[in-house]
Amino acid sequence: MNAARDLPRLAAALAIGAFALLPTAGLPAFYDSFFYLVFFWVSLSTSWALLSGFAGYFSLGHAAFFGVGLYTTAVLAAKFDVPFLLTLPAAAILPALLAVVIGAIVFRLRRLRGELFALLTLAVTFVIATVVLNTPIDGGGGIFMSAVPLPSLMATPTGTLYLLAFVICVSTLAIAWKVSRSRLGMGLFAIHDDEDVAEAKGVPTFRYKLTAFALSAGIAGIVGGVHAMFVGFITVAGTFELTVPLYVVLMSVLGGSRSWFGPAIGATVITTLLYSFSSGDQAMIGRAVVGFILIAAILWLPDGAVPAIAKWLKPRRAASVRTGADVAPAATPARSIGDRNMLEVRGVTKRFGGLLALGGVDLDVREGEIVGLVGPNGSGKTTLINVISGHYPLSGGTIALDGVQIGALPAHDIAHRGVARTYQIPRPFANMTALENVVAAATFGGPVRKPAEIRDEALHWMAFTGLSGKEDVLPAGLNLHERKFLELARALAARPKLLLLDEVLSGLNPAEVDNAIRLVRAIRAQGATIVFVEHLMRAVVELSDRVAVLNEGKLFALGAPREVMRDPRVVSIYLGKAYAA
Amino acid sequence: MIERLGAWRRRGVLAGLAAGAASLAAPSILRAAPSGKPVRVGGTLSLTGFLAQTAAVHKIAADIMVEEINGRNGFLGRPVEYVLLDDQSKPEMARSLYEKLITVDKVDLIQGPYATAPILAAMGVAQRYGKVMIQSSMGIPKLQTYDRAFPATPFGPEPDKTYPNVILDAMASIPTPPKTMVVLTSKFPSAQFMAKGMQKEAEGRGVKVLLYLEYESGNHDFGAIAARVKEANPDFLWVGSLGLESNLLLEALRKLDYVPKNHFHLYPAPGPLALSPDGNRALCSTFIEADEPFMSRPGMKRIAAEYKERATKINLPYTTLDAQACGMVSEWQILEAGVNGADSLDDAKIAAWLKAHTVETLLGKQRFNGPYNHGDAGQMIKQVQNKEWKVVWPKEFAAPGVKLLAS
Repeated sequence: MNAARDLPRLAAALAIGAFALLPTAGLPAFYDSFFYLVFFWVSLSTSWALLSGFAGYFSLGHAAFFGVGLYTTAVLAAKFDVPFLLTLPAAAILPALLAVVIGAIVFRLRRLRGELFALLTLAVTFVIATVVLNTPIDGGGGIFMSAVPLPSLMATPTGTLYLLAFVICVSTLAIAWKVSRSRLGMGLFAIHDDEDVAEAKGVPTFRYKLTAFALSAGIAGIVGGVHAMFVGFITVAGTFELTVPLYVVLMSVLGGSRSWFGPAIGATVITTLLYSFSSGDQAMIGRAVVGFILIAAILWLPDGAVPAIAKWLKPRRAASVRTGADVAPAATPARSIGDRNMLEVRGVTKRFGGLLALGGVDLDVREGEIVGLVGPNGSGKTTLINVISGHYPLSGGTIALDGVQIGALPAHDIAHRGVARTYQIPRPFANMTALENVVAAATFGGPVRKPAEIRDEALHWMAFTGLSGKEDVLPAGLNLHERKFLELARALAARPKLLLLDEVLSGLNPAEVDNAIRLVRAIRAQGATIVFVEHLMRAVVELSDRVAVLNEGKLFALGAPREVMRDPRVVSIYLGKAYAA
Repeated sequence: MIERLGAWRRRGVLAGLAAGAASLAAPSILRAAPSGKPVRVGGTLSLTGFLAQTAAVHKIAADIMVEEINGRNGFLGRPVEYVLLDDQSKPEMARSLYEKLITVDKVDLIQGPYATAPILAAMGVAQRYGKVMIQSSMGIPKLQTYDRAFPATPFGPEPDKTYPNVILDAMASIPTPPKTMVVLTSKFPSAQFMAKGMQKEAEGRGVKVLLYLEYESGNHDFGAIAARVKEANPDFLWVGSLGLESNLLLEALRKLDYVPKNHFHLYPAPGPLALSPDGNRALCSTFIEADEPFMSRPGMKRIAAEYKERATKINLPYTTLDAQACGMVSEWQILEAGVNGADSLDDAKIAAWLKAHTVETLLGKQRFNGPYNHGDAGQMIKQVQNKEWKVVWPKEFAAPGVKLLAS
């Protein structure tokens, strides 16, 4: 068991040792040069994947950060005689700072996602290229590096550059590996799948994106710093061209941009292929073959080679490592409704331009209480859930949770303070398994715990919601009923003080509704405070301690379910007929 | 600028000239076919990527020359094999592929790649292994700091000084010599280098530079620049252009109803500018054209005909043998002369021989004993006349009946 676990580590250590000693093996110097370029592309594509692959923020601006690093080294070494090695920290820090500045602006704007982010990063590249070209940084004449002394870390200059590129490559892969297995990585993957949900589940999305962007840019910068010495003559046209972003995207896509090791595989394959067809007679054939392989990979391996291989291996491995998920739901006795308010909503207003969605709503929810939120379509029910959970900022009013004001806090902070929610249409993280979805919610939404504890708790809530045996299934493999319950499991795993359920019963058949009602009662029995939006009146009456009716963004009625449902005013605006018990 | 040669060198010069001329002029049938293990000459060209169009020109010229050399006596009686790799227009690929050629393929000799950045990347490799490297397209000679790197194109060691004076001399010869000029240049290193020299030399000769403007390489919108040129209305417009930039600039000027009086273009795409409705009387830099007196140089007619046939076959847009192609021809001529002259494939001996001798090439007699291994500058001026390029300056290189036409 230990040997099986240690074997990959041993192989990695041996490979690192072997590659570190390669320049001393007496091989032709070309191999130093060839592997330098492999390491170069592995580092660049892996660094790109830290933001674009992991978090899904597709960047076409990697050449900007690579170029800033390259010119930092070139200018400091060639114009100010700073020793080459001393320029490298600056070559990493400057692009990282640039990324932080750009990210601090861009990541605050929700509309700058997807293609707009890609175009913006491309524009940044052009702006930086223009600045470099039209200032003394370059000025158009290029920078010749021949007078810059290269330290003799190895016997030959090529060996020295090889070693530097190798160290950066190994460090980059180590960073990518560490990130992919860390809380940061989990958050980035969640952002990739659904950023709004990630934020609502407690992922500090802004900070995580900024961290990934800075890491990505810093690595690209230091790679550029070393590359300045490898190329020897630096020009703006040769530095800020589209080759860098194009190649890193292709390499990452081929290998798998969500995998820490995927871009490395893609980079190695494409670099090797480009060399394999470098003969003068095969130049065009080589380009065509590379193009064909990429098209084939995109068609048949849309997630990349590494995830495809992992998927192929998974059934065998799963059988050997799977642990029991048979943590039974605790039989907690029902708790009575407390005296203090868990939620206090005071004069809450929400405007969307000229539309008043919520017009001064007041609502108290006591500890352990279940409040049903009903009203006709467009009455503001889901908007109220969204402002309580922080998805929408308040236009006015206050919201307090357990006596603490949360109305001005970001959604992830509200989640940390104990508010969990579900979505009317389930929004699981599509590329995470069911168990990973629940683990992510427990990690970011609940108290700080060890990974093993989080996993056990996630298994517990999966069993609680009847999802045992579905741990390794992707959300796409679950039916609607299961996806709804996965939403519940995610919310419960955060150990919320307040649970907001948005039409959790919609779309279920009668048997599934009965099952869900039992489940909500069981949740309530464990002491949770629940606000739920529901159209199914049977469920509202059976589950609610009180019912709040919203109409045109205002609280219209509040009281015991049966009384409210019989209120002629409520009937007239919402039900159309009296509810018959 | 031209260094005086000593008597001992004069003999070397004569020997080199004789060897070069004889090899070019002699029919291959008089020579024994080369035999034995091939002499492998490695090099890269940018067969793919953004420089691919120019590489196609160089590849045709190189193929012709390898056949020519093998049709004579090869190198030292052995056939020549050209090991050509594609550097994909990337300097880092050029560097690593020259490492491959030298350390893995173990070629006997190398030829340089195309364009300044790949040349400088390859030059570092050549220097580490002591290989002779001949190149034909590095426009900034002072960057050629390696002792065994040789130019195949006669830029001279300071083209930023010599070349402006060639065009200024030409302009001084017209009935109304220009008193004012505008210098425009692409921010491409070699073009910008020449533009700065042009500005300085013009001012030194009393020509007032009304405007010096730089634009980004590959610029497509010349409207604003054209307006400023029109406003300045210089007697002479000098453009440090590449590719189609000159066509775009002239078109933008036409849209403003302005035709520049005299206009020079540094490195334009030759075909499009010659055929452009705006290109009439455009001046340009050159080292040779497929016309007299150059056609009388040894081997020129044969190579020009062969080039045209092959260029037509692969649908090149401009099929006339031009200075670009002749630069590659010159590379091989210099290498052949060096090998034969040194009677060795040893790089040190070839380099020593080249430094001590003058070589007859299609681009004229070339020597390599000046700064940065450059010899005499051989720049000329050509002009579009009736949709064809004609060398017009210096006068002795103009074809019979051809003369510089002032606007």
